[in-house]
Amino acid sequence: MTLHTLNASPASAVFADCLGMLAAGDALLLLGDGVYAGMAGTGARAKLDACGAQLYVLRDDTAAAGLLERMDAITVIDFDGFVALSEQFPRQLAWY
Amino acid sequence: MASRKRLLLLIRHSPYGSSLARASLDVALAAAAFDQPVSLLFTGDGVLQLLPDQDSAALGVKNPGRLLASLPLYDIEQVYVDAEAAARYQIDLNAAPVPALALDRRAISALVEQHDHLLGF
Amino acid sequence: MLPASAFDKEGFLRHLKDWTPQVARQIAAAEQLELTDAHWEILYLLRDYYAEFDSSPAMRPLVKYCARKLGNDKGRSIYLMSLFPGSPAKLGSKIAGLPKPDNCL
Repeated sequence: MTLHTLNASPASAVFADCLGMLAAGDALLLLGDGVYAGMAGTGARAKLDACGAQLYVLRDDTAAAGLLERMDAITVIDFDGFVALSEQFPRQLAWY
Repeated sequence: MASRKRLLLLIRHSPYGSSLARASLDVALAAAAFDQPVSLLFTGDGVLQLLPDQDSAALGVKNPGRLLASLPLYDIEQVYVDAEAAARYQIDLNAAPVPALALDRRAISALVEQHDHLLGF
Repeated sequence: MLPASAFDKEGFLRHLKDWTPQVARQIAAAEQLELTDAHWEILYLLRDYYAEFDSSPAMRPLVKYCARKLGNDKGRSIYLMSLFPGSPAKLGSKIAGLPKPDNCL
């Protein structure tokens, strides 16, 4: 059980590397440019939905990107939520 | 006795594109010098660090390949490699500077579960 | 004799290529150490290590490397301590003209 954070756009190689490491039971928090991977209806989002990890986006970064209404079914969290999530997972890994 | 947390370094950047390769190896050597159990997993472009015959002399920077060869002297006898990533670049692991064990997805997940902390480079 | 500017604040040689046996004697003298054949064997081994691995060794790898190259009698920390008192990896590297070991705290 690992909490992954992704701060890179879905066009980057980092996105593919991260996707490859996501296991069932893991969680993925999208932040920074990572929020673009959560856009409903995109190919990147379909890949995230298929990987079986729980998905989260960081509110401030999502709002900045203009995407708060386009994150269908992804849980939007603030920094307190990020902290709470960190406490739930024994390991954390940053993708950037 | 102080608890010994098992550390897994996830190495996914090419050797000369940034200083991350060198930084990850410095962490590995520092942990090993302090008797902390540390494992290295090369994935993504990180597998490019395992190419033989690297010569960075003309660049005037350190050669991560050479440093990798010293890992067994730090009691890190082998490193782990994402088999898919190695195949993508046709890396011959038998020619790698340090003994390298290729792992599939399932084995990588198991490896992650065996460690207490992950650090990405 | 090299001028003081050839060395850093801790007395490590700034440029690997400036090293000669004479420079080694100069650094050793500053450390109140007289170099014997046993010292030279380790100094050349340290330079070989640097050439092979692009880094200066910490203590443990130095001991293992000595055992590998010179045999188990010399691949022991007590042997290295007798030649280079205190911190053999650091002191040996210094006299061999190598940069200070990264992990030698």
